[in-house]
Amino acid sequence: MNIEPENPTLRLPSPVARLAMPMMGVGAVLLLVGVLLGAIFSSVEMRFAMGAYLTAYTYCLTISLGALFFVIIQHLCRAGWSVTVRRVAELLMSVLPVMAVLFLPILATLWIGEGTLYRWDSEEWVAAHHPDWLNPESPQRSKGIYLSDWFFTLRAILYLSIWAGLALYFFRLSRRQDDTAEIRLTERMQAFSGPAVILFSLSVTFAAFDWVMSLEPIWFSTMFGVYIFAGGMLSAICAITVGVYLVQAAGSLRQQVTVEHYHDLAKLIFGFVTFWTYIAFSQYLLIWYGNIPEETFWFGDRQEHGWAIVSLILVFFHWLLPFLALLNRNLRRRPAYVCGWAAYVLLMHFVDIYWLVMPSVTESPTGGVMGVVTTVLCSLGMVGLFIGAVLRAGDGAPLIPVRDPRLQESLAFHNI
Amino acid sequence: MSDSNNQSTHGMMAEFDSVDSLLAAARRIRDAGYTKIDAYTPFAVHGIDDALGIKPTKLPWITLTGGVIGALTALAMQIWMNSINYPYIISGKPYISLPAFIPVAFELTILFASFGSFFGMLALNRLPRFSNPVFTNPRFDLATDDKFFLYVDAKDARYDGEGVARLLGDSGAASVDPVVEDETPTEVPKIFFTLAGVLAMVAIIPVLVVAMMRVTTSSQPRFHVFYDMDFSPAKDAQQVTTLFADGRVMRPDVPGTVIRSEDGFDIDFQTGVDMEALAAMDPARAEHLVRLVAQAPADEAAPADEAAGDQVADAQAAGGASEPVDNTPWLQDNPLEVDAELLATGQEKFNIYCAVCHGVSGRGTGLVHLRAQRIQSPTWVQPSSLHQDILYANNYADGKLFSVITNGIRKMPGYGAQISASDRWAIVAYVRALQLSQNAEESDVPAGQRAAVAQAE
Amino acid sequence: MAIAATTGLDNTVERPGERAPLVLGNTTYHTITESVSSIAEQPPSKLWVLGFLVSASLASMFGLLIAYLIYNGVGVWGNRDPVFWGWPIVNFVFWVGIGHAGTLISAILFLFRQEWRTSINRAAEAMTIFAVVCAGTFPGIHVGRAWLAYWLAPYPSLNLWMWPQFRSPLLWDVFAVSTYGTVSLLFWYMGMVPDLATFRDRSKNKWRRMAYGILALGWCGSSRHWMRYEKAYALLAALAAPLVLSVHTIVSFDFAVSQVPGWHTTIFPPYFVAGAIFSGFAMVLTLMIPSRSIFKLEHLITVRHLENMCKIILATGSIVGLAYGTEFFIAWYGQVPAEQFAFINRAFGPYWWAYWTMITCNVISPQLFWFKRMRTDPVLIFIVTIFVNIGMWFERFVIVITSLSRDYLPSAWGYFSPTWVDWGMLIGSFGLFFTLFMLFCRFMPIINMAETKATLAHQLRHASHHVTEH
Repeated sequence: MNIEPENPTLRLPSPVARLAMPMMGVGAVLLLVGVLLGAIFSSVEMRFAMGAYLTAYTYCLTISLGALFFVIIQHLCRAGWSVTVRRVAELLMSVLPVMAVLFLPILATLWIGEGTLYRWDSEEWVAAHHPDWLNPESPQRSKGIYLSDWFFTLRAILYLSIWAGLALYFFRLSRRQDDTAEIRLTERMQAFSGPAVILFSLSVTFAAFDWVMSLEPIWFSTMFGVYIFAGGMLSAICAITVGVYLVQAAGSLRQQVTVEHYHDLAKLIFGFVTFWTYIAFSQYLLIWYGNIPEETFWFGDRQEHGWAIVSLILVFFHWLLPFLALLNRNLRRRPAYVCGWAAYVLLMHFVDIYWLVMPSVTESPTGGVMGVVTTVLCSLGMVGLFIGAVLRAGDGAPLIPVRDPRLQESLAFHNI
Repeated sequence: MSDSNNQSTHGMMAEFDSVDSLLAAARRIRDAGYTKIDAYTPFAVHGIDDALGIKPTKLPWITLTGGVIGALTALAMQIWMNSINYPYIISGKPYISLPAFIPVAFELTILFASFGSFFGMLALNRLPRFSNPVFTNPRFDLATDDKFFLYVDAKDARYDGEGVARLLGDSGAASVDPVVEDETPTEVPKIFFTLAGVLAMVAIIPVLVVAMMRVTTSSQPRFHVFYDMDFSPAKDAQQVTTLFADGRVMRPDVPGTVIRSEDGFDIDFQTGVDMEALAAMDPARAEHLVRLVAQAPADEAAPADEAAGDQVADAQAAGGASEPVDNTPWLQDNPLEVDAELLATGQEKFNIYCAVCHGVSGRGTGLVHLRAQRIQSPTWVQPSSLHQDILYANNYADGKLFSVITNGIRKMPGYGAQISASDRWAIVAYVRALQLSQNAEESDVPAGQRAAVAQAE
Repeated sequence: MAIAATTGLDNTVERPGERAPLVLGNTTYHTITESVSSIAEQPPSKLWVLGFLVSASLASMFGLLIAYLIYNGVGVWGNRDPVFWGWPIVNFVFWVGIGHAGTLISAILFLFRQEWRTSINRAAEAMTIFAVVCAGTFPGIHVGRAWLAYWLAPYPSLNLWMWPQFRSPLLWDVFAVSTYGTVSLLFWYMGMVPDLATFRDRSKNKWRRMAYGILALGWCGSSRHWMRYEKAYALLAALAAPLVLSVHTIVSFDFAVSQVPGWHTTIFPPYFVAGAIFSGFAMVLTLMIPSRSIFKLEHLITVRHLENMCKIILATGSIVGLAYGTEFFIAWYGQVPAEQFAFINRAFGPYWWAYWTMITCNVISPQLFWFKRMRTDPVLIFIVTIFVNIGMWFERFVIVITSLSRDYLPSAWGYFSPTWVDWGMLIGSFGLFFTLFMLFCRFMPIINMAETKATLAHQLRHASHHVTEH
């Protein structure tokens, strides 16, 4: 089997690679139009538009973060089977610096706007609802400081630089190995994977609290970070599956990624669908059963004004349907089938993020016709930018880590 | 061996030293057209399924069926038990609260599915099977240690003893032996039945004891496992104790206790008396009343005090003309704004607290009274009708009525401790409405509704 | 027969691209059989007899204390208002947690194709079952009238025709723990059937052969049987993996669905599961490190096995630490006074010593495993795992006792002090656990011989591949 880096079947076909810049351009335009709709139409409102932006951003970010974790954990476990699909995950995570730039509009809502997206950002709102947060005498002042523009920004910079740093570290080392074939690079990545997991889990937990949970400034759930992680990991594995499948459809990696790898990816999708459900159900059950008003209102918001339908969609279509679909071993060994369900789960992950973010921004599940237009524009724009950036990163790089010492093991991998 | 011996031989067994030689031989035998072949190995050898042409098992379907049955059983069981057969609400959850039923449903799904795969595997493998002809050869004991065996069954269409033995020998077998009928007795030793019988008899004893206890009666008092749970050393509310000087088990409020539910504290509102006017007339009594209501540390004799309002009202109502005139400056009007909402509250509270004696109409014919009459209680006094001239607003100030509700009168206990002050005022308002309703004239009815009243009559 | 000549090899070093061997020494299929079977075939060593006598007497003490408790009532415990869930529940959660590693090692590591599980999974599964036995005892006697514990079963009371209340998390627990016990038993037993057949076939004496023969169910090693057996094993593993998670999740629901400050927090399910795996692996190491040296199994339970378990302890210990931190952070962030008080009280209240013991043992001591020297020295590992066991017991103590002793109403606060019966039962439960474990070591195959042989076969095949390639 030819695994020379120059082998064209190990690279993105150039018609695909050429799409990178146009996709990024169109994506940016759509995103801009989507947000501007909020500024222009009073029926949409800036708050809704920025909510849609945050939804789309969180969606892409969680995929990238999941891919980052996937890569770290493969090194941590010295995994052999996954080497041929690891590069696709590395490409997905390598756009984290781009995601860091795309966070700027959200920071802008704090510095330019006044409570445009996060209610705690509005002094008026805080004074009306939680005057203690502003009172220097009160012990609750510390929360006011935690949820303040500058501290939020500082933390965001910290999280984003941790992720960008981790992503670039693992990506660059892996790319360097393509040329030098040094085994030592693998050892370095393995050695760093332990601390990387710690950095990753801390930053993701707190970013989830800051960016999504604080949309409802008084609501809290200790499990929230795990929930975001579960969804991100699930969608990253789906994105890897879809990515690999599309690359194969375009003519590359046909021999390197086999049905065995799809089988494993399908098992992981199945496992993480279950894990997501486990986390989501536990969070719901504990709050539902405890029945404390300051916690239940969050689920209350997601059961009223038509949101109940979205909640039920998550139960039946984010969990039940893919769970049943991936139960059978023979079906899990059909690449097209697995890819189809992976794409479907990616769609459901969007519904999940939409369900997390939007009820805190708007009462109506759709936001009217213009609301739907705004959401669709923002999401398509963000996803376009994201895919464009991934393609740009993938252009010129072999799509498998050709000199990884465990590549042979992965190529010969066989499910028992 | 000869063909005539085939009756008692089950097949031919060859022994191999390594996995590779076993696999090679198995492929060779398979390619020679044999189908009824099997291998016996100390561990699961990968690739042997293919070499022997073994088809995948149906076991996953049995497991799935088990799981589905488990889930449905659990859900049906919980819904039937807790929502249909014995429905009651726990911690404000609905009868059918699915989230609460999911943990048990999950557990039973796993349990039944596990039973499905374990017992399904045993059934498909026809295990347990203790008498098996392959065990007759002592060499076969090594099949669970480090030797690998290949077996060709005599039922195979192509089977002929010599040929198979030669083929196996050529394939690298260390030794080849026919598998003969197991001659050892197959019946289970008698001791097992004896043991099982004894065990069964011992096991049945507790069941019999329980069954006997359930159907027999005993004149002995019940055995008290936890004596102090059956006979609690704690006192009941109305009992006497030597622990406190006043002999009461139920303790009065600590002096200084303020009603928590009400913001601000208005002494007139709490007593129904215009306290400033009273202070001008009778400072001592005013101070006493304030102390009593505000629960300020009072005289030592405080517990023995009767409510002052009670004394006055009592004396006045019971005595008639000879009694001293009640000159207490009662509040003449309800301090709360009388509106439909207040009257609704008053009606609700009246029907809860007052109507059992005074009756829903206020004529003194409540359920307690009816019951007392039926059992001809010798000490029962009929509750007052609220529709007496002396109790009407022009004779009986609102504040005084409030004081009676608060402190009680004659045999009527005070309700101050049970009904909040604002609700008591609401009851006063409602009693006034009740009184008015029994003496209403057509002109009292709003013009628009007169027709309806006339029609009802 | 090929020989894996790996004597004296440090198998904790693994060059990327080559897999380090998991079976060391001049090991053949037969020597695996020999070294495992001989444990059960030779007369017991003096050390074993001594250990057995000590643990059996502690176990008998446990039995006597239970009788004493039932005769006198639960007043002999330190459980007083407001701490009604005293030591018995602490012990229950502790033992259930210990019981997690067994099925986890077997099931999840099996699903993740971690071949190193084969040397340790049998003992770990056995440990699971014995820990569940200890765990199940405590709620059984904690109900007060232990002879009425059958009311927990889904059966209507004969007098009122009343059913147990399925909306109660305590009943979920009954189902979770009993399902877990049953499935773990099946999984353990099923995994043992081929090895029991080995014991049967090696038996010299008729009665021994009959006893193991019955247990082995007539296993003959047919390939068709193996095929279904492996399928069933994979299915059971796939079922047991979520089951492991669910059991401690449901135990955490006991606490978290309530409104008690310090209990009602959504991180509890994953945090309890991580803690359970953490303590379970620690207990496996505590048991395996002496066993491997007493029974001379160092070539099968190698330092690499120990090191891998240390890594899992490090990972789960850090997850537990993260959960402690998150709880603290959210207590502050949530701005609920009672919740804030509960956490300050844990760290600086009357039980500060328990809290800091827990932090030291659970969060700090496993951090030593960042260093390879610590992960590869059995004696040091043994010491750290003892600390982890202590720490995890204290974690449950902190959760149960500090929260209950001081909840919303200051007038109802109290301080829990254990009685001698509490102490005796904790020690006695260890006695029961070790008694069962030592009996297991003596009479059952403590290493999965069949799977270890398969691992060896795999290793041999790889070795020959390398020879042919180079």
